[in-house]
Amino acid sequence: MTDIKHHAYLFDAVRCIGCRACMVACSVENNIEMDKTRIWVAGRGVMGEYPILERASMVYHCMHCNEPDCLSACPVGAYSKRSDGPVEYDPKKCIGCRYCMNACPFGVPHFDYDKGLIEGAFIDKCTFCPQRIDNGQEPACVATCPTDALEYGERDELLKIAHERIAAHPDRYIDHVYGEFENGGTSYLILSHVPFSELGLPALPEEPVNEISEKVMEMTIPFALGWGVVLTAVAAGVHLYNKKTETKAKPTETHEEEPEVNK
Amino acid sequence: MTQTISRRDFLKLGAAAGAALAAGSFIPPQVAQAARDAKLINADGDGYIPSMCEMCVWRCGLLAKVKDGRVVKLDGNPEHPHSKGNLCPRGQSGLMNTYDPDRVLTPLIRVGKRGEGKFRKASWEEALDLTASKMLEVKEKYGPEGMIFSSTHNLSQVQFENLLYGFGSPNYGTQRSLCFNAMITAFLLTYGVEEPARKYDDVEFILLVGRNLMEAISTSETSELSHAIDRGAKLVYLDPRYTKTASKAAEWIPIRPGTDSAFLLAMIHVIVMNELADCDFVKQYVIGCDGIQDAMRRYTPEWAEAITGVPAATIERIAREYAAAKHNALAHPGWRTSNFVNSFQTERAIATLNALSGNVFTEGGCLSTDVTEEGSGLAKPPQPPYPRISALRLDGTPWKYPLVPLKLGVFQELRDAIITGQPYQAHGWFIARQNPILALPDRNKTLLAFGKMDFIATVDIIMNDTAWFSDVVLPEASYLERYDPLLPLDGRAYIRQPVIEPQGEARSALWIYKQLGERLGLGDYFQYEDEEDYIRQQLKPLGISLEEVKEKGYAEMPEEEKKNGFTFNTPSGKIEVYSETLKNAGFPAWPTWEEPPIPGENEFYLLTGKVAQHTQFGTQNNQLLHKYSDEPRLWMNAKTAVSLGFTDGDWVEITSKVGKVHSKLLATEAIRPDCVYLTPGFGHLSKGLTTAFGIGASDSVLHETYTDPISGGQALSQTFVKVKKA
Repeated sequence: MTDIKHHAYLFDAVRCIGCRACMVACSVENNIEMDKTRIWVAGRGVMGEYPILERASMVYHCMHCNEPDCLSACPVGAYSKRSDGPVEYDPKKCIGCRYCMNACPFGVPHFDYDKGLIEGAFIDKCTFCPQRIDNGQEPACVATCPTDALEYGERDELLKIAHERIAAHPDRYIDHVYGEFENGGTSYLILSHVPFSELGLPALPEEPVNEISEKVMEMTIPFALGWGVVLTAVAAGVHLYNKKTETKAKPTETHEEEPEVNK
Repeated sequence: MTQTISRRDFLKLGAAAGAALAAGSFIPPQVAQAARDAKLINADGDGYIPSMCEMCVWRCGLLAKVKDGRVVKLDGNPEHPHSKGNLCPRGQSGLMNTYDPDRVLTPLIRVGKRGEGKFRKASWEEALDLTASKMLEVKEKYGPEGMIFSSTHNLSQVQFENLLYGFGSPNYGTQRSLCFNAMITAFLLTYGVEEPARKYDDVEFILLVGRNLMEAISTSETSELSHAIDRGAKLVYLDPRYTKTASKAAEWIPIRPGTDSAFLLAMIHVIVMNELADCDFVKQYVIGCDGIQDAMRRYTPEWAEAITGVPAATIERIAREYAAAKHNALAHPGWRTSNFVNSFQTERAIATLNALSGNVFTEGGCLSTDVTEEGSGLAKPPQPPYPRISALRLDGTPWKYPLVPLKLGVFQELRDAIITGQPYQAHGWFIARQNPILALPDRNKTLLAFGKMDFIATVDIIMNDTAWFSDVVLPEASYLERYDPLLPLDGRAYIRQPVIEPQGEARSALWIYKQLGERLGLGDYFQYEDEEDYIRQQLKPLGISLEEVKEKGYAEMPEEEKKNGFTFNTPSGKIEVYSETLKNAGFPAWPTWEEPPIPGENEFYLLTGKVAQHTQFGTQNNQLLHKYSDEPRLWMNAKTAVSLGFTDGDWVEITSKVGKVHSKLLATEAIRPDCVYLTPGFGHLSKGLTTAFGIGASDSVLHETYTDPISGGQALSQTFVKVKKA
């Protein structure tokens, strides 16, 4: 029911008034327990000294990375990347190892102690509201945003909007769309008036961390095999050497022992 | 960003899944049947029903997603001008008001001492009979004026007023004097309109005087302001606190509390002395153009600098920028303007600034007085005229406060008159959807006034503090469970309709007032069979069926004839910057500086102001809002806190002349060093509020009662407090 090829969010920290309507909307839409959330407010809040002040805060949830670290870290394939953007989590496959929690550079997946033991759904994170976007609706957090700080649509179009907004107000925005390239690109794009680190976002290389790790991981078997050969060779060498020394040393030993016995 | 779901789409959504399954017995009968008939929900009971929010008074349109007879999600209705598809956090959490585990679901009659919280369940029959007999007893012994009626603004208020005026009491307590009396009175006197509409389409310069639109959210207006800033409109914001609105402003001016009018008068001075306004043009519409230079001569920016702490050059520059934007400049009238006894003058100055910019009488100007009469185009059930009321109003309107409009009143004065028994003693109090114990300043006095009552009945959906101290509690259906009269707005009449059946024995206000009215012998004022019949009678002149309105969420109303030219509903027909009415009542005819009191040594201004997650005193028990709002604290400037030996998170004791509370401290740079701010709405007394009880402190305990003699507004920021470690 939707013709969007790559679902994405655009968050604009300049517009965000921190009202948390998105958080409530997410909780209700996804029936989240009262002591849990899938969406957070980050950033340093009020900065500076009275009366020269600035405020920097943002809301964030799963970034729905193009190259998800959670996915590549998961040993059982509980994560999958939909071809149109959303990163999905399948609780049925999850074994609760929490590798994804360590892998995610944004600290998004979190462990659900209550559900984990009973229902096997160990991990919780933003789903991109498939029940809404697949029916042509905006995700719950976006739909309710009173200032359009959160927007939703085709990733390419949102990127275009983001760059146009920067170009229209270069005084107001940092000339960068966070998530365009970070970590290989994310589906949660961010505009800001303060350095992104002030919003609590990590500085990430364009090449996704997992791409490097995956390259390394791809080398595992050849590396292991090679290492095996080397070790075998070393072991064999050591063995031969030991044998040689053993033969040489034996007489000495015998020699040393003999006088003792002779005593 | 455009909404990706239209009304048509959501109708389709409901119909698409329309498998003909038998309705389970868990689906409530009437609402589900009506919604099914309107094709809003399918045979399974799933779908979207349009209605209206009541988490504040802005009344956004909503689409309630229902599933198996339960409301599971609320979305903003793109068809409604107040939501335009969005809802604020309060609107989003609305279903937790309905499903609050602390809901009162049967009528209750007090069995313990007042305030002890001991009640027994009663039938509607018994509770209504008791309430009516007690009210009639008061009437018989002391006359109808012995009963006080009070209610906060809501869509069923028209029927509440029938109860009050039909009964024959003049004593009407509304929240208005605690809120916007200064703004409404000033704009009525200057423009002849209560609250001019703001238009943000072409606005270039916006002056907000303490109107914290980014936290005191009015969804569509907050959105419009945000988009205007996006477009490049300049926002100048006056507030002693660095609110979220301040963070979005081009310029934040942390003005000294109570001195806004000095700042504004100096702006007017700059504009008129330098002839920055097109006076020939302005003269056609404004009374006072000729004398304004003389009247404003003394209000120089240098004079204002000494009072406000804002540099004269800044005031001068802002005045010039404002004037340069001409009719695209907007000095926002504000909303809760109950700050100081001089707040009326602040509002008069704001009214004057708008007049000088010409924004009200220029096509495309960003202020409009074209406010449609409430209910025009709609009918209402027939009713006889009210009996003549001869008793004085206890709140001093108009005999003590000649210029306060009767519908606004002076609530705090009414409370004081209950205590003094002057000019006569009141004996009974009927309260609907209102929490005077927390709303009125000086809570100890309010409790004293409650103690003077022979009988108190309260209509509410939860056990709020006032219900806790009442003799009878009548459980109202929540806004998702009931009908209210239609809301006319921008050429349409919008409906609030039940999206689920009322829980327990909760009933709509329309039903409760009618039942009570009939028992009081006032049946003629309640000539409707039920809620649906009420709305059918409203719709009659439009020739539109209730079913159609239920399906669409609104009825189209015939287009109003556009007025030709600009006329104002004042004695002169013009905008009265100079007001004879004020002069004749013995008040200054021009906007005038009135020196407010200032804090003494070691005292702070005690500020109040909203957070985005709560509405007044009614939402703190909502578990979703509780989850997503910050812990209430006392804000103090971080350096001041250090100098007093406080650290962030310390428990402190806050003392005013009338009360003392404890709160956790928030040491922040975001407030003037001479001010503290206490998150409002907390400090509930009712143990029937299991989520909210025990959280935060009530500023009503601290607030001293000061009334502006012109507008009757309570001065909520005129209380000064001392703070020490608890």
